[in-house]
Amino acid sequence: MKRHAVAVSNYITAFIIIISLNFLLPRLMPGNPLQAIYGEEALIAMTPELKAELISRFGLDKSLCEQFFNYLMNLCQGDLGYSYYYNAPVFEVILGALPWTILLVGAALVLSTTLGAVLGVEAGWRRGRAGDKVLLAGLMVLNGFPDFFIGMLLLLIFGVMLNILPLSGAVSPYANLTGVALLWDIFKHLLLPLSALTLAGITGSFLLTRNTMIGVLRSPFVLTARAKGLSPAAIRYRHAGRNSLLPVVTRAGVMAGRMATGVLFVEMVFSYPGLGHLVNTALTARDYPVLQGVFLVITVSVLTINLFTDILYTRLDPRVSYAY
Amino acid sequence: MHINYWQIFKQNRVGIYGLAILFAILIFALCGPVFSPYFPQNTTTLTLDPPSLQHWLGTNDVGQDIFTRLLSGARTSLAVAVGTALLSTLLAVLIGITAALAGGITDRILMRFTDALLTIPVIVVVIMIAAYVRPGVLNLIIILSCLGWPVGARVIRAQAMTLKERYHIYAARVFGGGMLYIMFRHIVPDLLPLLCVSFIQGARRAVFMEAGLAFLGVTNPDMISWGMMLRHALEYCYLDAYKWWLLPTGFALSVTILAFSFLGYSLEEMTDPRLRRREDA
Repeated sequence: MKRHAVAVSNYITAFIIIISLNFLLPRLMPGNPLQAIYGEEALIAMTPELKAELISRFGLDKSLCEQFFNYLMNLCQGDLGYSYYYNAPVFEVILGALPWTILLVGAALVLSTTLGAVLGVEAGWRRGRAGDKVLLAGLMVLNGFPDFFIGMLLLLIFGVMLNILPLSGAVSPYANLTGVALLWDIFKHLLLPLSALTLAGITGSFLLTRNTMIGVLRSPFVLTARAKGLSPAAIRYRHAGRNSLLPVVTRAGVMAGRMATGVLFVEMVFSYPGLGHLVNTALTARDYPVLQGVFLVITVSVLTINLFTDILYTRLDPRVSYAY
Repeated sequence: MHINYWQIFKQNRVGIYGLAILFAILIFALCGPVFSPYFPQNTTTLTLDPPSLQHWLGTNDVGQDIFTRLLSGARTSLAVAVGTALLSTLLAVLIGITAALAGGITDRILMRFTDALLTIPVIVVVIMIAAYVRPGVLNLIIILSCLGWPVGARVIRAQAMTLKERYHIYAARVFGGGMLYIMFRHIVPDLLPLLCVSFIQGARRAVFMEAGLAFLGVTNPDMISWGMMLRHALEYCYLDAYKWWLLPTGFALSVTILAFSFLGYSLEEMTDPRLRRREDA
């Protein structure tokens, strides 16, 4: 279909922009390109032999074109560079942090979408009445709070003032927990960052569901359902609610993108050992290879998810494809 | 087009609140030195002091007056917000209207590029660039604008497409008006309400991103910013200092973003007749 081709070409262009930016940024910086590519840690460990080897390996003495080709070839082989801070390939460093971020983002995405949808259906059903107004105003205000400040507030309330939840990390260090105790420990550590990320993402799906719900409630099939004498709950969820979910499902890609960046900030607040924490350490240590690797991983996954939902969109709602 | 926007805006309570809050923040930011006798960079031996008559919000870990720094942070936030909003709206106008007026292959290329930029997670790219550049206010404005224009460009192009079919535009063309002339003399004035929305939304995003970047520590360390204050305050969150250090800073940031959102919602409602409020919505 033509629409798919257009979508795919957009994502390919975006991908090329990202790759070029990733390649050009360190090389355009004034000063030593080796430092910009490898970070400060590398210069400390640098011997003349190593320096010569790195220059020839990355073709820094060759033209920019050849360097770019070199860079692309390395990427194709999954080689994201080497971190002198961790003394390990960037790919491995990222792989170690990725599960925590996926756990956090995945859970937050499911939670905020479900909660937002349920609240949206209820608010749309009660449009203009007290319940709707309170929800709408409350979530709008919540939307003004940056995700990291929501995280800090939760941290202060539950971690510092009430002292019932752990302040940082993903597991208790040196506790050697196993089985159920380990899962409980992971859950306790997950709770605060998860709540912060969920709260930050809830407004989007709430507003979307509420607005669609208001439109759907006007359609004839809802009148039919009412005339049949169905209970309000059945109309709300089985008939109107289900149809209001469509834009939420198709917007999941956008939501995932927002969460992928929100998680960086939230992880930093809670020192949660995922990609965000990795970024934070990399920023302080000027460990550029890790930084570049993480950004490549995040943007590529966001682009992939977006492309995927873009295609899913037409499958789920045939009406959109007529628009093109 | 003959709508008295101020008349409609006045009836919108949310918008009025937003405007009032922004105005208050602006006053605080501009008249900072009137409210406090300290310099934001000056350190004293009085560290982590609770609020007192001398220091309204106490002092931080190196004895700087927190209230003074809060006012300074407001100035940074607003400067970045206004600068970014202006520059990105200008870019959006130039690109959106050029695409609409030129049509054909120019339109196609410009819009493909716009759509491609729209799919990129902006914050991530900004963090990456900032990690190398460590931008101050001016560089930050440029970076944020270069990545922030596509949203506005799409909307402006769509509106300009309908405007360019109007007879007065045809007349101007027939009389030999150039593209830039038609753009700024005939199309931009009609787009003004839309540009306001784009401006406010751009400002809101800029405040958020500036704070986020400073919180990550990738902005120029000489730039006093709410995000950076939050970053430092978080390190001392186990002490009582958070009550007068972290909380006021966070709330100042949130209130600013909220004020921009409120103003944005109400302007959007005004310019889009479909959204214009009935008494219940």
